[in-house]
Amino acid sequence: MRHVISTLLLCLFTTGLMAQLDRSTPPEAAPAPQINIGEYKKFTLKNGLRVFVVEDHKLPMVAYSLTLDVDPVFEGDAAGYVSLAGDLMRSGTTTRKKAEIDESIDFIGATLSTYSKGIYGRSLKKHNETLLTLMADVLLNPTFPQEELEKSLKQMETGIQAQKNEPAAIANNIASVLRYGQADPYGEVVSEEHLANITTDHLKTYHKTYFRPNAAYLVIVGDINLKEAKKQAKKYFGKWEKAAVPNHQYTNWPAYQAPKVAIANRDGANQSTIMVTHTIPMTPGHPNAIKASVMNQVLGGGSFNTRLFQNLREDKAYTYGAYSRLSSDKRIGYFSASAQVRTSVTDSAVNEILYEMERMQTELVPADDLELIKNMMTGSFSRSLEDPQTIANFALNIERYNLPADYYRTYLEKVAAVSAEDVMAMAKEYLKPEQAIILAVGEADKIEEVMRGFSPAGEVTRYDFYGNKVSGAVEVTDVTAEEIIQRYINAIGGLEAIQDIEDVTTSATASIQGMEFNMVTKQKAPNKLLVETMMGHNVVSKQVFNGEKGKVTSPMGEQELEGEMLEQMKEGSVIIAETNFLNEGFTIELQGVETIDNRECYKLIVTRPSGNESTAYYGVADGLKYREVSSTPQGNMVTNMKAYEEVDGYMFPKAISQSVGPQTFEVTINSIEINTGLGDELFEE
Amino acid sequence: MSHLKKILIASMMALMSTALLSAGSGEITFSEFTLDNGLHVILHEDNSTPIVTVAVMYNVGSKHEQPNRTGFAHFFEHLMFEGTKNIPRGEYAKFVERAGGELNANTSADRTYYYQTLPSNQLELGLWLESERMLHASVDSVGIATQKQVVIEEKKQSYDNRPYGTILIETMKRAFSEHPYRWTTIGDPEHIMAAKDEEFETFYKTFYVPNNAVLVVAGDINKEQAKLLVEKYYADIPTGSADLYRHNIVEPPLGTEVRDTIFDNIQVPLVLQAYRTPAMNTRDYFAIDMLGTLLSGGQSSRLYRELVDNKQMALQVGSFPIPFNEPAVNLTYAFSNMGVDPQELEAAMDIEIEIVRNTLIPEKEFQKLKNQYENQIIGGNYKIAERAHNLATAHTYFGDASLINKELEHYMAVTREDIQRVAQQYFIPENRVVLYYLPKQN
Repeated sequence: MRHVISTLLLCLFTTGLMAQLDRSTPPEAAPAPQINIGEYKKFTLKNGLRVFVVEDHKLPMVAYSLTLDVDPVFEGDAAGYVSLAGDLMRSGTTTRKKAEIDESIDFIGATLSTYSKGIYGRSLKKHNETLLTLMADVLLNPTFPQEELEKSLKQMETGIQAQKNEPAAIANNIASVLRYGQADPYGEVVSEEHLANITTDHLKTYHKTYFRPNAAYLVIVGDINLKEAKKQAKKYFGKWEKAAVPNHQYTNWPAYQAPKVAIANRDGANQSTIMVTHTIPMTPGHPNAIKASVMNQVLGGGSFNTRLFQNLREDKAYTYGAYSRLSSDKRIGYFSASAQVRTSVTDSAVNEILYEMERMQTELVPADDLELIKNMMTGSFSRSLEDPQTIANFALNIERYNLPADYYRTYLEKVAAVSAEDVMAMAKEYLKPEQAIILAVGEADKIEEVMRGFSPAGEVTRYDFYGNKVSGAVEVTDVTAEEIIQRYINAIGGLEAIQDIEDVTTSATASIQGMEFNMVTKQKAPNKLLVETMMGHNVVSKQVFNGEKGKVTSPMGEQELEGEMLEQMKEGSVIIAETNFLNEGFTIELQGVETIDNRECYKLIVTRPSGNESTAYYGVADGLKYREVSSTPQGNMVTNMKAYEEVDGYMFPKAISQSVGPQTFEVTINSIEINTGLGDELFEE
Repeated sequence: MSHLKKILIASMMALMSTALLSAGSGEITFSEFTLDNGLHVILHEDNSTPIVTVAVMYNVGSKHEQPNRTGFAHFFEHLMFEGTKNIPRGEYAKFVERAGGELNANTSADRTYYYQTLPSNQLELGLWLESERMLHASVDSVGIATQKQVVIEEKKQSYDNRPYGTILIETMKRAFSEHPYRWTTIGDPEHIMAAKDEEFETFYKTFYVPNNAVLVVAGDINKEQAKLLVEKYYADIPTGSADLYRHNIVEPPLGTEVRDTIFDNIQVPLVLQAYRTPAMNTRDYFAIDMLGTLLSGGQSSRLYRELVDNKQMALQVGSFPIPFNEPAVNLTYAFSNMGVDPQELEAAMDIEIEIVRNTLIPEKEFQKLKNQYENQIIGGNYKIAERAHNLATAHTYFGDASLINKELEHYMAVTREDIQRVAQQYFIPENRVVLYYLPKQN
């Protein structure tokens, strides 16, 4: 019997140890643990200061954070003073110089920092009273000494210098300006000129107006109980006088009807910082906030398994990381998606971001992906509870944003309830790729052209570090639109010579996405046209027009030209279109001077008899045409003329780049022949 | 302003993936054992939040690389997310995130660290995932090709394109001529590009073995049950058979001051003095660390008060030893205010160091230093993930995880005389590299 039992035991033992472990599938989870959200207590002082207490006795430390709940202030000419007022509160009081404050804080190994919307202090419990004495002193009695202001101004000026080379700082400045407008507190960018206008009066007034107990919350977290907290709050903050705090409303944010394409230069950048961003009407605790947050997590919210990270990093290796962010705010929130990518893939990367945004709107998220994101959010929420400061923040948010008292207790249930349909609905409501600001910071000359394709109007605006436009169209009065057209005609050979042109045959090589095509274009006065595109020796497409009618033959079939396309062909097939511009039915309007590829150009808007509009740019120095933007059924087409060369006394561009949407053709002209006697029959179908 | 400070501090701190060992709010209790295959295991139980951290530190960093194959250790950090025999490519992180966990990894000159923090009911999943990595990670051509591109972009983003991003690269190649600390973890991308797939396989088979790793399981666990699970997933992983490459290079003294100027895409000049230092966990190292706090810890510190507040020559100052296992360098630096000549700024830095060399620190200031360390050490080690990391580091570097509980003691044992002595011994011109970072002209 004994023998049997020991054999049995041995069997059990060996089975337990020796069974081949099946590693091919992941182990099952154990039953889910209980998630407890810590408690907080609150009370209000007579002066209106609302106090929250979160007890946490793990460490013998206590943290005090005072937060103002005030509207943002528009600073105008003295932008920067609000943040300086915060910084300088701890730079001297009626009884202590800055050096004494520093010394006292460091002596107890504590932290004390002040900022425009509050004060934070933390120390070992045994040094509590010293910390609070100093904290109350800098809160109630700051003097804002002139010499400390000067010192900080100098540092801020150096700081602005440093940021000018931070691609992210440049991008954020421009994004803020374009999202909110320069007349909004969120759209203000501090410049050296602003700093020069700041006085200690600005700081004193800000402090006196906004640092009021009735507009503030004090949060106490750590090794402390409610009784101790009440005693301390009364002792150190009870004498703080209340006063009415002004409200401010600014709601004049710009709206874009089409993508707004912006670029900025950073010298020597070997990467582009790209961003797609726009405002969203999203306040903290908004009924859609959790659903929208799930949507953003799927798209690009900071994990390995988001669409942006998988597409731009893991699939294409364009970047080290790509992320999106959906930020709520009491006034107005924003969405942004960004990445730093190598210069050569700037436009491709923007395309992928836009593609992923649109995909969120048109495809339901697969159940597995959604489950993953929801679990991540649940996990992240649970991990955050490790820090008692989280509980304090929950309390603060409930109070500040008027959230339901159980907002955080029911958070996980709300996350669990989000469906794939919700996610798609949120993407439709809060992602606006067609009205976004599309921004790239990098080697501006290299990215300007490729970014143009994202604007339906072919417009790229350059900005500087401060979010100011760089060389926009400058008004000119010393020349008329007609003169510019005449100068162009003269520059390419003169009217008489042009009128001698009977026909032109152009042979060119075009490349698109690495594929090469040969293009032969034959034109005959007044407006006959034949374009044959060949790959090797095979004609892949043919476009023919005899002045009255025409057709396009391509691998997709044959198409007779009609309607708008026919009209455009009639007007667009003239050998030198400018010869008609001065005729009746055309209007030309001078817009000013703009810099195109480092060349000053006159910008003209031409309206044809059909009503078709195009924009053309003529060099100020030489009169030649360098760019034309015209509308086509596929979107706006941008044509850039480069490297003019003389052929039989006429000037023709030797290289052209043409882009429609994200597609760019690079065209190199191999030969141009004039008046070879092309017969009319060539242009018949 | 605070935003700018963050940027500057971030660019200094980004240099190091190992945080300072900041040990113990009271005692951190743990138990440890070693499996037959050589895997060392540390268990730490704290049930206050229902989460668990599973972490593995491999004793391989950039100092274990060959001079013509730098960047390998860091490259593996990327490769280890690609997949394993049982985990398809691109799915590794998904398992963790699907379970509501988070994961990441980092590489230093001394070691490579992988960690994940999961809801505590997913402990077994964490062990399965990490053991897959150790047993049979996919080191294949597809993953290698993708990660080659990603690492090139990382180099541009975090080093070349980030203002001051090349600080450690420029410093270490001048401070060391023999020791592998002379290159940094990112390495030379050309080495990675040139490496054949077999080289990566050999590296994996050599270093990613149980006898070269420590596993830490910390958080809401039951120790006995956790031990059984560790055995279940790790006991049958074979011991590595290849020789573990351990260099025996001792860097000769610098002997003479090295000075250089780096022109970078920056606006604010930086003066950096890198003094060669002794290894971590030595009395001199603790003293040097305290000297750094004396010079730059808080606004009443000497360099801050003199250079930033009184003379207004600097925007920001700092001094700290790089926490490398073997003798490395202490970085003392100042970002200059507008219009300040870097040479004058450096002279002002030197004056403060000279004062420490010549005059014993006053009692009261020394007491302040001790208070600062008391606050910092007691306040540290709060999070489970932090504790797991510190336990793994103490074991890997010094073979003694219990050092995590002795740190306050070590610092409190340092005397005023020690600080003066290390200033005299190490903070001298012939023991330093001085770099000026100046704005590139156009």
